[in-house]
Amino acid sequence: VRSREQCGHVSGACNRAATGVMWRLLLLAAAAGGVRREVFESREAGGAAAELFYPPYDLSRFSWGSVNGTLNRTALTAEFRGGPAGEPGGGFANGSLAFRVTAYEADGRDGALPRLLHTANSSKVEFVLAGVAPRGNGSRFVLEVATVEEAGAARRLRSARSIDDEYTPTIFETLSLAAEAPGAVLSFLQWKATAYGSRSPRREDGIRCRAHELHAANCSLPPSAIVRGYFGDRPAGACSVSALNISFGGEDGDVYQEKRYLSWSALLGFGQPPADSFSPLVVAIVAVALGTPAALLLLGGLAVLLARRRRYSEYEPIN
Amino acid sequence: MAAAVAEEEEERALLGPGGGSGSAEPEPEPEPRGLGAACDPRRLPHRLLVLALMCFLGFGSYFCYDNPAALQTQVQAVSSILLRSCALTSSNSTPVIFAVGALINAFWLMEAGRFVFGIGGESLAVAQNTYAVSWFKGKELNLVFGLQLSMARIGSTVNMNIMGWVYSRVQHLLGHTGHSALGLTLMIGGTTCLFSLACALILAYLDKRAEKLLCKEQGKTGEVIKLTDVKDFSLSLWLIFVICVCYYAAVFPFIGLGKVFFIEKFKFSSQEASAINSIVYIISAPLSPVFGLLVDKVGKNIIWVLCAVVTTLASHIMLAFTFWNPWVAMCLLGVAYSLLACALWPMVAFVVPEHQLGTAYGFMQSIQNLGLAIIAIAAGMILDTRGYLFLEVFFSACVCLSLIAVVMLYFVNHLTGGDLNWSAKKREKMQKVTATE
Repeated sequence: VRSREQCGHVSGACNRAATGVMWRLLLLAAAAGGVRREVFESREAGGAAAELFYPPYDLSRFSWGSVNGTLNRTALTAEFRGGPAGEPGGGFANGSLAFRVTAYEADGRDGALPRLLHTANSSKVEFVLAGVAPRGNGSRFVLEVATVEEAGAARRLRSARSIDDEYTPTIFETLSLAAEAPGAVLSFLQWKATAYGSRSPRREDGIRCRAHELHAANCSLPPSAIVRGYFGDRPAGACSVSALNISFGGEDGDVYQEKRYLSWSALLGFGQPPADSFSPLVVAIVAVALGTPAALLLLGGLAVLLARRRRYSEYEPIN
Repeated sequence: MAAAVAEEEEERALLGPGGGSGSAEPEPEPEPRGLGAACDPRRLPHRLLVLALMCFLGFGSYFCYDNPAALQTQVQAVSSILLRSCALTSSNSTPVIFAVGALINAFWLMEAGRFVFGIGGESLAVAQNTYAVSWFKGKELNLVFGLQLSMARIGSTVNMNIMGWVYSRVQHLLGHTGHSALGLTLMIGGTTCLFSLACALILAYLDKRAEKLLCKEQGKTGEVIKLTDVKDFSLSLWLIFVICVCYYAAVFPFIGLGKVFFIEKFKFSSQEASAINSIVYIISAPLSPVFGLLVDKVGKNIIWVLCAVVTTLASHIMLAFTFWNPWVAMCLLGVAYSLLACALWPMVAFVVPEHQLGTAYGFMQSIQNLGLAIIAIAAGMILDTRGYLFLEVFFSACVCLSLIAVVMLYFVNHLTGGDLNWSAKKREKMQKVTATE
């Protein structure tokens, strides 16, 4: 799987206390058996009527550092780091925005939180904000993700709640945005409902991550060279664009304000999104814990019966 | 006032049966050693007075004990230190943990205070249990344990709700925030300790007096704790210890970590999560005396303990593996918790000779606290690395361990012909038999 990524323009909206960051990520991937494409793209964050948005950061106007220095051929990772072009001051004075991509050679699970389960047919995209100063007290960052799809595929945002939080402690919700053809899932973007406020994430660094509704974007194809290159100059209507806002931070506090770090990971891949199942350890503990008292009850019952019989047989000679 | 009550008691004793209190029910009680038809300490109203004193003793103690927890936010604000919440809030951790959690600044002094109070509080609990047995064994022992538990819970709850208010009043009065307001508030809280002390003094006097009147031998009631007694403990007692440690380890640490669980898994708001988290204690306050009475009337302690443990297991499994409304599981947990406390603690009195009672209760209390401290730390680590499902499975495993111990206790008791599982009727009969012998 070869993945390439480009950031296009971001627009944002802003309200009383929210900083909007929009981003656009374009991924071209070649899969065995043909080429499929997904485009994740940033667009204007509309936001709920009650919310106020600051002027968005437009990622297409960012200047991006060279990827050569961050490309790791053994770990299969690369990082695209950037900041607003021609604006040395402002919130990005000491900070940067980055997309880190990781490709996988085999099925497995990440070692670091959120420990997403992955397949060889998927790769991870991590959105990292480091040191970017928020523009207001209690403001929240919102990321806008847009997808471009050829006509015929339906997009669906799914939220699955599971009782199993073993791999991502205290997070019970997994979300996925999938492109579906009738009867099959073509591709997906899957993430856990959390971001982390630390370079080495722990449970208590969790930042609530909320997905807003998927909506049709009010534009045709984004003016990006790659999109154009991939889809060609199609008539309007041949492709549809939908966008999704993901906001970070909740009512529970200002983790970002304190830590000035935010990382959000999502898995991008083809086919059915992977699903967690109970670990063998959990199954084993449950089996042993429930089995032993039952076995003991049985054994004890037998022992008592035997003892009673023996006692009676001891009495018999006296009778 | 204490003196007045005591004097009144003395008078009542001198007046003889029916003289002091008209409502004294004639008790169909055997009079061993042909002693004291006039002895007040054998009468129900007198025992009720002792019971009231014991309960208030516990109330004051628990009220003080949880003061820092109730004022947690204020303490945090004042000392401006990142408060290891486990250090101050968990009222059941061993005092040593408070010391380990000791932090810098003036905070170390608070911790030192907690340390001393911890030692005091725990030995008070042991003394309370021992007194309860020496006064109520063979009578209303289960009820007494239930009442003590419910008074303790009421103490904690009243404290939780009232101390914040007191603090704001004090703040208003002094006109500024800061350590003096906090100190004064804690002082006011501390006065309940004086109240406890008064109760304790009266109780000590009454106990001495009863001892004298009933010609009990000194030290026979098991107030002396001797560590060498430990080697004489029976298998049944050790099983009771295992039940106690494993059961409480699956309840208190869970409640300590439960709030985030309800917020994250069940999408509760912060207030709702606090409410459901405290429901266990709220339920146990009114239910404990009821269950105590029930266990007194029916007997069969092991069956009750078994029911409580199985119910707790069910509620943990419900919380772990389903999205069912957690109020159901938590209410079940509350009921089971009160039932267990009423049925388990009095059992110790049946398997231990009276002179070892203090040692047994002291030992039980301390290994319970040790277990709680260790499990609380382990639970925190499990939560951080493996999440709530694994934590719940771990707690369920603890309850299962306790279930194994109950089942074993049942069979051990059955095979050795112990009296733990007798019905109340049989117990009464046997008591009469031993009394007439």
